[in-house]
Amino acid sequence: MALRRVDLGHGIGLRTAHFGRFLAERPPVAWVEGISENFMAAGGRPLAVLEKVRRDVPVALHGVSLGVGSVEPIPERYLDDLERLVRRIEPALVTDHLCWGRHRGRYLHDLLPLPCTEEALAHVAARVRQVQDRLGRQILLENPSTYVAYREADMPEWEFLAEVARRADCGILLDVNNVHVSAHNLGFDPLDYLDGIPAARVGQLHLAGHADRGRYLLDTHDAPVAGAVWALYGEALRRLGRVPTLVEWDDRIPPLEVVVAESRKAAAIEEELLRPAAVAPAAGPREAVAP
Amino acid sequence: MTLAESQALLHALLEGGPAADPERLEACFAGTPELPAAERVGIYAGMFLSRQVDALRASFPRLAALLGEERFEALCGDYLAAHPSEHHDIGRLGRRLPAFLRLHPDPGRPELPDLAELERARDEVFFEAEAAPAPREALAALPPEAFAAARLRMVPALRLLALAHDAAAAWRGPEGDGSPPARAGPVALAVWRTGFEVVHGPLDADEGAALASALAGEPLAAVCAAFEGRDDPGGAAASALASWLAEGWIAAVEPPPGAGA
Repeated sequence: MALRRVDLGHGIGLRTAHFGRFLAERPPVAWVEGISENFMAAGGRPLAVLEKVRRDVPVALHGVSLGVGSVEPIPERYLDDLERLVRRIEPALVTDHLCWGRHRGRYLHDLLPLPCTEEALAHVAARVRQVQDRLGRQILLENPSTYVAYREADMPEWEFLAEVARRADCGILLDVNNVHVSAHNLGFDPLDYLDGIPAARVGQLHLAGHADRGRYLLDTHDAPVAGAVWALYGEALRRLGRVPTLVEWDDRIPPLEVVVAESRKAAAIEEELLRPAAVAPAAGPREAVAP
Repeated sequence: MTLAESQALLHALLEGGPAADPERLEACFAGTPELPAAERVGIYAGMFLSRQVDALRASFPRLAALLGEERFEALCGDYLAAHPSEHHDIGRLGRRLPAFLRLHPDPGRPELPDLAELERARDEVFFEAEAAPAPREALAALPPEAFAAARLRMVPALRLLALAHDAAAAWRGPEGDGSPPARAGPVALAVWRTGFEVVHGPLDADEGAALASALAGEPLAAVCAAFEGRDDPGGAAASALASWLAEGWIAAVEPPPGAGA
């Protein structure tokens, strides 16, 4: 089955700090992404805000606590809450991360790295299928920022992610900033990552800021998108074609117009690179299916 | 090393730091001369704590400011060791912090549990469900014979706190150790939401008791009985109820079954 590609355009994260302005002003963004766990309570102010925004623009739900690679079972409560939220919001996309994050019944609230081994591959693919079966729809998995490598890795992360997507028949949320951060930290060529990702599986791109901590880069989401990441975004667009792109900003959140301006910058880059006379996508034709 | 073993190891290293098991760390993870494996794992260990401390600081900003960075982080470390996260929403991490502070009091700062209670209530109220407030004439529309047995349904975004210290003063007071401890003595505080802004304010003891009755779903007769000690009990009750309606605390006035309202 092909990826159910949705043509969303350019969006930004819906964060609590901007709730009021989002409702009052209807900012000029084509879609928004909410952190799934922030809206899972059955009632509550955040869910009411999300439903109101949803009436105006498409919404993607982006999870941070699924921990799909954790060896312990995915809690039924989590799946129940996610399923209820998805049915209620009918999001354009449902996404989470290629990581693990639970141990002994506790949530570690981090996107912890997985060893790129055959054992992990089979485990993650099975878990993704479990989630998709539960939700009755495809999800997209995002590459995390990584700071350490496992010695016993059988393959690079891009091959691992591509194979998970193939086996589980899921999509890929390609975080361009994370590719840049991981490439810097682990010493690989970010273009190898882009070249290794099957274009037809990519349903969304992420952009965000990071911090230079001297000997490594830290994925902080607290700053404008770095120049090198904008350049890599261009390279991604040349390979993937037009893909829904979202700017994340989660810490030291600036006024809404600053985040919107970053999104507009992404749109301008896409427009410049993908004009009809510009470079055609390297990959073959892509299926475009409405949700 | 199996996937389960590698996750157990990394979890142990997150909680204990890279020094918790240096031999297995080196066997499992690869580093570079510029950034050895132990330091790389240390990045995760640092983020593991800092992300949770940041979440607690977001829920308890005044407590964090009053304690200062070092003491607040130490408190968070102790609290998280006792109450690791069991919920997928990191925003709920601090639900037990007020109780933890009561069990582990700071003799020089006895108001800390109450300040944490106030901040937890403010956090909860911000995220509470929306509910349309009852119109200001809702009580006046009640048939006189139905008044005593009618009940108030309060909006979800409302909390009544019965505290042992003036946490509101601690909340607005100067930061750091130099600020004087908050005044002791029973204090009733209401916490509610206006639009996207959470506000709180003190209540007289009798209005606090009346609000407690209303929140418990008791009939209006019991709510108004809280003002019996006043010179003009009826006037005081009417004034309080009018202010509750004006503040949007009342979602509905529910007449007793069979009443004609």
